[in-house]
Amino acid sequence: MMKEIKFALYAIKKNIQSSRELRTSFLMNVIGMAINNIAFVFLWVYFVKSVGVIGGWTTYDIIGLNGFTALSYGIIVSIFMGTKKIPEYVTTGSFDRFMLSPKNLILRVATSAFSPSAIGDAIFGIICLSVYGFLIHITIVQIIFVVLLIIFGAIIFFSMSLIINGLSFYFVDASSFTDSVFQLFMTPTLFHGGAFHGVTRFIFTFIIPSLLIAAIPTETVKNLSFHNLIYIGVGSFIWLYIAIRLFKNSVRRYESSNFMTFGN
Amino acid sequence: MKGIRLAFKIINTLTKDSFHYPNRLYANMLILVSRLGVLLALYWYVFKLNGGIINGVTFIVVAWSMFFYFSFSNFNLRRISRLIMEDVQSGNVEVFLCKPISYLSYKIWWTFGLGFYNFIFIGFLGFIILALVISVPASMTIGLFIPTLILELILATILTFIIYSIVGLLAFWIEDVNPVFWINDKFVMILGGSYLPVALFPDYLYKIAIYSPFGASMFVSHIVYDSWKVDWLKLMGIQIFWIITLGIFLIWLFKKARGKVSVNGG
Repeated sequence: MMKEIKFALYAIKKNIQSSRELRTSFLMNVIGMAINNIAFVFLWVYFVKSVGVIGGWTTYDIIGLNGFTALSYGIIVSIFMGTKKIPEYVTTGSFDRFMLSPKNLILRVATSAFSPSAIGDAIFGIICLSVYGFLIHITIVQIIFVVLLIIFGAIIFFSMSLIINGLSFYFVDASSFTDSVFQLFMTPTLFHGGAFHGVTRFIFTFIIPSLLIAAIPTETVKNLSFHNLIYIGVGSFIWLYIAIRLFKNSVRRYESSNFMTFGN
Repeated sequence: MKGIRLAFKIINTLTKDSFHYPNRLYANMLILVSRLGVLLALYWYVFKLNGGIINGVTFIVVAWSMFFYFSFSNFNLRRISRLIMEDVQSGNVEVFLCKPISYLSYKIWWTFGLGFYNFIFIGFLGFIILALVISVPASMTIGLFIPTLILELILATILTFIIYSIVGLLAFWIEDVNPVFWINDKFVMILGGSYLPVALFPDYLYKIAIYSPFGASMFVSHIVYDSWKVDWLKLMGIQIFWIITLGIFLIWLFKKARGKVSVNGG
């Protein structure tokens, strides 16, 4: 196990070094993405100003929400970008090289690519959470909550990315389909949490766990709810278990060199 | 005449291609449902909490405004930026520039053809579903609505192409235009009235939305408001101003970009 983790860390290090070679592009991607994310804060803050406080959510909570989403997403998509590339690997037949590798398949695939722009997401997330912490006069216990919730959020992001992109083993020309399903999961993570109620809250908590990434964590930190913290923690590991099982089953459907180029 | 024939040929070929890959259509439908569907559910709840009216508009008007925004967005004309960037990065631009056709108009028709079938099919289907589920506001039943909608779609298409082509052409200087694309896209998203409809904008933001090219490229989301029957001429005038101004800039930029290309042959 330790050997596998060491290899994953080595792959991540090499990916970062490789991206940094194109310094200007790397920096532009990081800064561009951080600026880009401000749009969501801006939109939902004005939403709160226009329609008033809904479900107890204030502008501070919107900043926290964006922080949780951006940081969890940034961590996973930057270092485990490979999961998002699974449809491409399957379509082109280049998944062969992962199958033939003696390393852990999931770790090998996940760490096969790196996204510099996701570093921008992570930086933006850290800034948002710092501002949020300052605005709500965060306590030590709440900081511990934030750290744990980011870890759980990242695990859910990783699991969903693996499940959704693993669907590409079942469809031909799956990249547009997996992108759309990922959007279905991703979009509500950026929405005003207070506006989800009843059926929508149930669906986006239990069936598609979008609200477990940021909306419920923001409420958990605000209300210091141990119950929610435990629930999200348990939920994240259940989703990880489901993702690994599903991925292992999906891989069995893969047909080697299913493209004319016989892999690349 | 030759240019028009080429345009029809490209659109025809790509539309046939779209027929053969229905998965992409379903995928686009899912994207629309995931964004607009969830958003409408949220706004329905928010309007219910606020007694049915916010800033003088009802849920139905806001829902249709967002529908027009997302349907037009689903046309995906903005992908022209990335298509140009890919040509520059791969070097294919050399080949295109040597051909006896205008590179920019070829890319524009290509992008148009890629999204046309999705836009028509999903837009029409969405229109019917939304009309059946929430009905149509009075502003959509006046005689002016259909002609101005068609005119508005044409102007919005031209302006969107111009804005995103400018972003794409920057690839001749900076190669990776993604960061510029994201920022530009977010300006369009905010000022176009995506997640927050223009009717809910504060005064100063509304003015920026109207007078900036980013907001002007999405005036299609204004079409359902009562103010449209008074403002449509002014808004289209602003759009035409931006089309001319940015159009001239685009032509100038393209000339400069062509000057930067060195064709090596081989």
